[in-house]
Amino acid sequence: MSVTALHQVSPAPQGARLSIDKIGKVFTGPSGGSVKAIDGVTLNVEPGEFLAIVGPSGCGKSTLLQVIAGLMSPSSGAVRLGAQDVTGEPAHMVYLFQQYGKSLLPWMSVAENVMFSFRHRIVMTRSAARARCDEYLAMVGLLDFADHYPWQLSGGMQQRVAIARALAAEPKVLLMDEPFSSVDALTRLDLHALILDLWTAKRFTAVLVTHDVDEAIFLADRVAVLTHRPASISEVIDTNLPRPRLSIETRESPNFLALRHRLLAHLLARPGGAAHDAR
Amino acid sequence: MMRAKDRLIIVAAGCSLPAVFLLGLEFASRNGWVNPTFLPAPSAIFATFAQIILTGAFFAPLVHTLTLLFVGYSIGCIAAISLGVLMGYSRAIYNLFEPLTELIRPIPKPALLPALILFLGLGAPMEITIVALGSFFPVLINTVQGVRAVDPVMIDTARTFGHKSPAVWRRILLPASAPYVLAGMRISLGLALLLVVTSEMLSGNGGLGDAILSAQRSFLVKESYAWLIVLALVGLVLTAIFNWTEKRVAFWQAPQAQ
Amino acid sequence: MTQLVADNETQGLSGPKRSVSIGVRVRNSRASGVLLVVLILCAWELSARTGFVQSTNWPPFSTVMATLVVDVTDGELLPLILSTLWRLARGYGIGFAIGIPLGFAIALLRPVRLVVRPTIELLRPIPIPAIIPPLIFLLGLGDSLKLSSIAFATLFPVVLNTIAGVMAVEPIYDQVAKTFGVSRWTALRRVVFPAALPFVLAGLRTALGLAVVVTVVAEMIVGQDGVGYYLVSMQFAMRAADMYAAIVLLTLIAYLLNRAFILAEGRIIRWTRLREASGDAS
Repeated sequence: MSVTALHQVSPAPQGARLSIDKIGKVFTGPSGGSVKAIDGVTLNVEPGEFLAIVGPSGCGKSTLLQVIAGLMSPSSGAVRLGAQDVTGEPAHMVYLFQQYGKSLLPWMSVAENVMFSFRHRIVMTRSAARARCDEYLAMVGLLDFADHYPWQLSGGMQQRVAIARALAAEPKVLLMDEPFSSVDALTRLDLHALILDLWTAKRFTAVLVTHDVDEAIFLADRVAVLTHRPASISEVIDTNLPRPRLSIETRESPNFLALRHRLLAHLLARPGGAAHDAR
Repeated sequence: MMRAKDRLIIVAAGCSLPAVFLLGLEFASRNGWVNPTFLPAPSAIFATFAQIILTGAFFAPLVHTLTLLFVGYSIGCIAAISLGVLMGYSRAIYNLFEPLTELIRPIPKPALLPALILFLGLGAPMEITIVALGSFFPVLINTVQGVRAVDPVMIDTARTFGHKSPAVWRRILLPASAPYVLAGMRISLGLALLLVVTSEMLSGNGGLGDAILSAQRSFLVKESYAWLIVLALVGLVLTAIFNWTEKRVAFWQAPQAQ
Repeated sequence: MTQLVADNETQGLSGPKRSVSIGVRVRNSRASGVLLVVLILCAWELSARTGFVQSTNWPPFSTVMATLVVDVTDGELLPLILSTLWRLARGYGIGFAIGIPLGFAIALLRPVRLVVRPTIELLRPIPIPAIIPPLIFLLGLGDSLKLSSIAFATLFPVVLNTIAGVMAVEPIYDQVAKTFGVSRWTALRRVVFPAALPFVLAGLRTALGLAVVVTVVAEMIVGQDGVGYYLVSMQFAMRAADMYAAIVLLTLIAYLLNRAFILAEGRIIRWTRLREASGDAS
């Protein structure tokens, strides 16, 4: 399922800068107590950039992403896309869920699931919609499975459908919440290559939340490291690895390994970090 | 902990609909907008209801109905659980009884009442039989499914630890299928109440069903509504008792959504 | 949840089969069971024919079946059956038409839920036949009385299952609808409704069984026509064979209605069954 055809031309990055400005989030418990989940996170993501956010599990990175996506409102601060404040459901951002199996609607076929992401928003004939759907399914190599139901597919294939559905909405920003954490290791490498190919082809802005340091370095231009709860940015690292990145060679390059060393040391050394978390 | 104010809002909202309905009816009835002969004012109905309670007139019919219900329901449930456990456990017994139960189960149970009256007359035996029959099938089917749903790993675990068959039954099969059995018993309870009332109406030999239908036939309008309140309360209390018991018997099961 | 297990009851023993079987495994054949049924019917036939049981209430099985054929073909039973079915359909339809929107309103709108739900819980345990005598004063002995009783009985399983279904919609579906900026109405139509549909249909199936029971009861208590009334009059007339014939016919109809419902349900929500069969639990 190679998508090398996409490498031909890479269009200019589209869209506007995504700015996350001093975001804070406090949850109020049922007993009246409150928990601070996010503490003043500020980040700027340039158009067409691939940013990864890593942090120990339970540090509030999914919460942060949901706030950015407008699925949850922040307690303080603001998210802006270009000059526009992001409130409610943003028109140009799409969220890719970790639970791919659950996020696909089981009563719709693969094609219906993909068309669900854009048909309500853009007036087009059924055949035009189907053509656009097929285009994206072809990109993820699942054109032959258009009329299957999602639950008839393997986990990796389901995540490909979810990716096709997210991109078919042609978002300016794709927000990914640990999208590869529940597939097996080989499928994960496959999906990494796929998402990079699609990103190269479409040049959307990508924000990836993950606890997998290798994944973050391999995919991203910059990696932001979060502290333990309440989450705040402790460091932002430029990966500076050449593109196109290659599944095996890039991961074996000295630069990659040095970055990996640095990030892991950083995450493990910090009090309240991953080591502390793994008790 | 819910705050006192939220609690108040919930209670007030819940009471508002019955309150508006009853007040509206009271108003309409007093002003003659509805014929008070057929739809008496709620206050008048409640007065009659209080009278039935205070004079003890409710006692004999209530005891009559509850006795029939209890005896019939117990027979039906015990028989169904016994057969259901056997059918769930043994394929041979399942195959022996499945066609028969599939033949009898779809009979709308009240349709059997005239036949039972021919055989057993109008008394308690007929009423108990119909209640037992009605209670039987939901419990049977749920018991079979409950026993079958027991994870074989659980049984193998018990055997590995050297538990003998009776212990496996008592400690594993019965508790593990209890939530299913109880769900069947809940359906049966509603059906049993429906059947006991219907059979009392048809036989006219005492009980709450007889009381409510006799009141209607004698054109005692307020009494008829008052008996309806009694029956509604019986239903509410029985449901509450059932819920209370279920919570204690199947406590390890996550609370069932209502 | 209660209503969902209630589901098992209406689907019967031959419903979804578990592949795991505990205990002794015998060859999967129903021959023994069919034999038992045949033996019981033979015992019935012989006990009546040989005079072992001497009663006018105990006609042989063959006589009952012959009476059934005669009563159906000479047109005595058919109009009664049709009037019963027509009554059932209307009462059930009313309950269904009120129950589904009400269930959605209660589940989706908090004010409606706060105001209406306690009343539903309060009315639910009333044994349905008990509402018939007071209703006679309001509606008379005609069809509107029976229709109201049937609709009332239908309402509760439908409303409660619809509520349970909407409440059980995966929260992630809601987020999926949100992230693609789907309008509230579209989300309701294309996400919430299909997700809740299996529960709604289970409620409708439970309600159908109950509606049949209540139709018969209403016809027995205040009958002028219909099968329930016929049963009671045959009992008074001591025409046992005709009475049994009517019971057999009624059972057949109840059985066919349930089967037809299960068939239709299987088509409407084909995806749930296929998904289960594919072993996808997510």
